[in-house]
Amino acid sequence: MADASGGMSRLAESADAARRLALEAALAAGSSHIGSSLSLIDLVTVLRLGVMWPGDRLLLSKGHAAAGFYAVLAQAGVLSREEVLDGYCRDGGTLAGHPERGYPGVEITGGSLGHGPSIAIGMALADRHDRSHRRTYCVVGDGELNEGSVWEAIALAGHLRLANLTVAVDANGLQGLGRASDILDLEPLADKLEAFGWSVAEADGHDHEALQRALSVQPGRPRAVVARTVKGYGVGFLEGDVMSHYRSFKPDQRDLLLGALEERRAA
Amino acid sequence: MRDAFFGELAARAAEDETIWALTGDLGIGLFDEFERVAPGRYLNVGIAEQNLVGIAAGLAYAGKTPIAYSIAPFLTSRPHDQVRVDVALARADVKLVGVGGGVAYGTLGPTHHAIEDIALMRALPNMTVLTPADPAETAAATRAMLGHDGPVYLRLGKNGEPAALPEGSEFRIGRALTVRDGGDVTILSCGPMLTEALAAADLLEADGVSARVVHIGTIKPFDAAGVVDACAGVGTVVTVEEHTVLGGLGSAVAETLAEAGCGIPLRRIGMPDCFAHAVGSRDHLIRHYGLDAPAIAAAARRAPGSTTERAAA
Repeated sequence: MADASGGMSRLAESADAARRLALEAALAAGSSHIGSSLSLIDLVTVLRLGVMWPGDRLLLSKGHAAAGFYAVLAQAGVLSREEVLDGYCRDGGTLAGHPERGYPGVEITGGSLGHGPSIAIGMALADRHDRSHRRTYCVVGDGELNEGSVWEAIALAGHLRLANLTVAVDANGLQGLGRASDILDLEPLADKLEAFGWSVAEADGHDHEALQRALSVQPGRPRAVVARTVKGYGVGFLEGDVMSHYRSFKPDQRDLLLGALEERRAA
Repeated sequence: MRDAFFGELAARAAEDETIWALTGDLGIGLFDEFERVAPGRYLNVGIAEQNLVGIAAGLAYAGKTPIAYSIAPFLTSRPHDQVRVDVALARADVKLVGVGGGVAYGTLGPTHHAIEDIALMRALPNMTVLTPADPAETAAATRAMLGHDGPVYLRLGKNGEPAALPEGSEFRIGRALTVRDGGDVTILSCGPMLTEALAAADLLEADGVSARVVHIGTIKPFDAAGVVDACAGVGTVVTVEEHTVLGGLGSAVAETLAEAGCGIPLRRIGMPDCFAHAVGSRDHLIRHYGLDAPAIAAAARRAPGSTTERAAA
């Protein structure tokens, strides 16, 4: 939907704004999971604003990246900026630390990992049966692929040749206690997904053009895009740090956090 | 009960195009009629229960009314997190249908028994839990379930259960049904245990003890007012369930009577907080673990406040 020239800069601007909003919201709430949010903002921005058509479904299975997801939804005009800033993870707020089905733009309740792909299959089956042109996109984390339920879904979607389903892996290479490759190495991931009957592409998870290209392919079988991302992307001192999953910041660290974001943007 | 369920399901699916049927590779031949009347709306997802429940939720989110079918423990324990998050928390219109409630799968052993499924399902907010007594009520409960908007767990026995309720009994979600009147003891049962409860009432009658028998076809929402009424004026209450005595019907009745301040002695008959390690058919296990009619009658006689207990005192 976005054209190659003007559209890309629109996506870049939007992703930058979403990063800033996600950090502002996390600062205001004193919440964690900042690294996970920053790693998928480019991916979700490209999906939501550059790939999806009206009516398409977007499922965030790695629900802990809520701040990033809400920020992108705000950029898409689905949530208001104020709601994200004032409602996220606050006493009496409206947006929990893991999104709940029923919030604007939220299709599934995240938080318990490995649920999204199965739900996505159910939606895609309904659409296929109804001859709808809707497409279902499900964003999972690479750590989340440890969950067996994900592979139940991957196996079945391949078997059913569910061509209206795309799974995007936010592959930031880090999970709870360290590097994914050290904890449960699932590489070569693309080969595994291929073997299950999926059409697979790998892309730089922060290159909008590459993401858009990879995510726009609809090959007649389920599509997987392994987006190679950087946890904490955009904030230099958080990038690639496993602690970016847990660290939270106080309002008086605002300059540190947003300053790092600005610095990275200018670079 | 199983055949009654499948018959009614196919009949409804022929009329309602939103109804889908999913199985985790169980129920050989049982979906044939469904597939005939509802082409394209049946799916065997394979032996993968987490996927089964998640897919059902996805279908429901997309506006369908899916039933997810499996053996009860493989539907309520194995994928419990999917049931909790994708179905109950989201208030999805998913119908979980578990066959082999209690020890119906007798000799297959404790993995195939469901003796804590009621407790698990009952603890979930938004979940409706149905425990029909016999084939006719199973058909009625299936109808009610498909007409109800929201998550339901339907607990079936297996097949060949005898008719237990009077012909023409009406099933309504959330209503306790007095099946037999009596003034000394109230016996409350759920599911096919109604047959044992009624037989126990016969045994008690022979001893001059008059037993009221109440069938609980809906564990949740629980008919608290109906149960309090049904227990008014009797000396003893006995609950009977093919389930552990923790967290199921007995617990629901205990909570209800205690909160209402009834102060009536209560005996809970069920699996006594143990798995069924004994090997045997359902009938054997029911006897072995003291859930059969003679055991129920004996418990009713022994309970403090019972007529015979008072006579002995």
